[in-house]
Amino acid sequence: MADSPIHTLGHAFDWSADRVDWPVTTDVGPGLTGVIAGETRVMWLDPSSGRLAYRGVAIEDLAGAPDFEETAFLLITGAAAGDELRRFERFRETLRSSRQLPPPVLDLVDGLGPAVHPTRALRAGVSALGCHELAVDDDLAGEQHWRELRIVGQVASLVGAIIDCRRRRSRRSPDPASSLTGSVVDALAGRPSTADERALLDLLWVLYAAHGLDTPTFASMVVASCLADPYYTVVAGLSALRGARQGGAGERVLSSLLALEDAGAAERWVQQTIDAGGTIPGFGHPSYRMPDPRVVVLRKTAAAHAGRLGRTRLFEVARAVEEEATRQLAPRGVFVNINLYGALLFHLLGAEPAEVPCLVAAARVAGIVALVEESLDTVRLYRPLSRYVGPPPRPVPRRGTS
Amino acid sequence: MIGAPPPPGSQRYDRGLEGLVAGETAISDIDGELGRLFFRGYPIGELAAARTFEEVSHLVLFGDLPEPPRLREWTAELVRWRQPPRAAFDALSSVPIHAHPLAQYRTMLTVAACHIPEAESSALDAQWRRPARILSWAAALAAAAIRHLDGLPDLPPRLDLGYSANFLYQTLGRVPPDAEVRAFDASLIVQAEHGLHAAALAALAVISTGADLGSAVLAGMGALSGVRHGGANQLAFEMLSALDAPSAARAWARRALAEGRRFPGFGHRVYKCPDPRVAVLEPHARAVLAAHGMSDRWETYLALRDEVETGLAAKRIHANVDSITGLLYHPIGLPPSAFPIPFCLAIQTGWMAHCLEYLPDGAMLAPGVVYVRGGAGD
Repeated sequence: MADSPIHTLGHAFDWSADRVDWPVTTDVGPGLTGVIAGETRVMWLDPSSGRLAYRGVAIEDLAGAPDFEETAFLLITGAAAGDELRRFERFRETLRSSRQLPPPVLDLVDGLGPAVHPTRALRAGVSALGCHELAVDDDLAGEQHWRELRIVGQVASLVGAIIDCRRRRSRRSPDPASSLTGSVVDALAGRPSTADERALLDLLWVLYAAHGLDTPTFASMVVASCLADPYYTVVAGLSALRGARQGGAGERVLSSLLALEDAGAAERWVQQTIDAGGTIPGFGHPSYRMPDPRVVVLRKTAAAHAGRLGRTRLFEVARAVEEEATRQLAPRGVFVNINLYGALLFHLLGAEPAEVPCLVAAARVAGIVALVEESLDTVRLYRPLSRYVGPPPRPVPRRGTS
Repeated sequence: MIGAPPPPGSQRYDRGLEGLVAGETAISDIDGELGRLFFRGYPIGELAAARTFEEVSHLVLFGDLPEPPRLREWTAELVRWRQPPRAAFDALSSVPIHAHPLAQYRTMLTVAACHIPEAESSALDAQWRRPARILSWAAALAAAAIRHLDGLPDLPPRLDLGYSANFLYQTLGRVPPDAEVRAFDASLIVQAEHGLHAAALAALAVISTGADLGSAVLAGMGALSGVRHGGANQLAFEMLSALDAPSAARAWARRALAEGRRFPGFGHRVYKCPDPRVAVLEPHARAVLAAHGMSDRWETYLALRDEVETGLAAKRIHANVDSITGLLYHPIGLPPSAFPIPFCLAIQTGWMAHCLEYLPDGAMLAPGVVYVRGGAGD
């Protein structure tokens, strides 16, 4: 990169380069937009073309074939599972075996009760797991890698356990032959899942697995830069994913869609919401000024799956929301994002609105681990400056006279 | 950060956002050249000498040293939240006793957070009332986590004591002498806020997504747990503890300097001069150590500091606050693995202040990463 200022705002810069020569000079906008917070080989999100690729593989190519475990392998190791079969087998073995959770952790999650929001339960479970995985005098050097892998399987397992708990079903031991997504779909369906259903959750988790340096990933990176252990790192990411502007959005999408009777009601609701100055959940993304490329894949899948299940009306509602909101919002540069059809598809698999954020989180942990893992060699503590604009130096007054 | 976004235009910065001005703040002013730290314009030394943590937390969070009526309200609010949900204490039985106390405390806090009504508004006026709950729940849970290390049950709070005295009572089962409470309170005061350090940045990133203050604090705690951050006071103390006399400290430091080793508790991204928090706490540490007949440890510390600061003078590396807090917390009776906890209790005040300052118009924090082409693998 050249030494002259890089115009990172206004889409002149596609966020890829042969290398980054630190220090850099870039645009800096509100919310630190335009700021280069690191380098990655894990993924590329080109805001001007809307392209998204994991390790150089375009998202459209990933959407068909590899399952979530292979995608996690690709994201974390940079290798295609097919090229390194034995290494992938070991990877998958670690992922799957880590699903066996200590009973006290499951007791803790169960004890929170079905009324607690699943993302809160998940965060508490991850935190408790960290206590089981790491002892006070552990030296993390060298152990970091497998521990971060384990957390991907552990989070998936916790999500399944939380869903079982919410449905007041008894605890099940994960079947080692079942994939990460397989046991979660079983929990969502409340019965052994079909191959179609498993493929659908694989697709969703592949598309949700990583998305550039979104805010939850950034929060995780900041925590990891202090050399915190992976459980703190993921707790931070989960805390950000709870936010209404993040994973919480999927929950709002689904609640909204389920409350709408038909396409006409959907159009009226969009109109009323926008007139009242509200936002349409499932629309808008800080990175995109164009439709999210993942939407194309998910819209098609949603149409097909809803048709198979006889839930066409729900799809029509979503479609009406998309069309009406696009008509109104596209001129302002606000487009549909992954959550509209993503949340709908999670629901078709059996998820209630409140369960959507933790289903997103389980996928996203793979991307967070991949980015954290690759950064550990070069990362520096994140410590920007701020300009002080408060009161000038002044003496502390005596009590009662301040 | 950051009532206002950074000025428009370009900036030059290094890895870790070093040198980037992320925005404006009215909370604290850090002068890394002269070694001065002000909260809302007041020098920390004067605050620590004349005020309590209750008063300073109000100052950091809300902008002013409270008048007596407001201070009474704030104190009452802090006292009101001294009893977190029982389930949060029970969470300790779900985690192994050998886990790090900060991780146990984190788990208790994640469980306590489940008992905050989900429908609670994230609107600004509602967020303003939340810090007292977090500050006081955190102290009670932290005390229980530390007692759990020794297999001891948690203790009910004492409502008649101040924040520091009650925390020490709930931790130790006794109220330490007044000088030790004052010293501990001073350590909370000087560590109550420190600009946009990594933990504050993590908290801001979380609050900027529309999450609640408790979630922001949990992210901050994660950053602080790292050995490059809050965990450093434990490492600094352990380094010192291995040295039994000033002469041994000097000899070891010279050897370590020659080997190019790093010293936990020394050096700071912002301070290229003595850390002003050290100057405030050193007299307290010396007095408390002396009262416990541990003056030799004080002398050893001085020798180590002198040797390291002299050896690294060209790099402008000085002792930072992490090198001194352990020398207070140890004689007061806290185990080394618990040293990060008081730091965490104190500095979450600053995280929450930054969150409240950011909330009114803050955009979601969304910096980017550059995809480095050439080779999918590594």
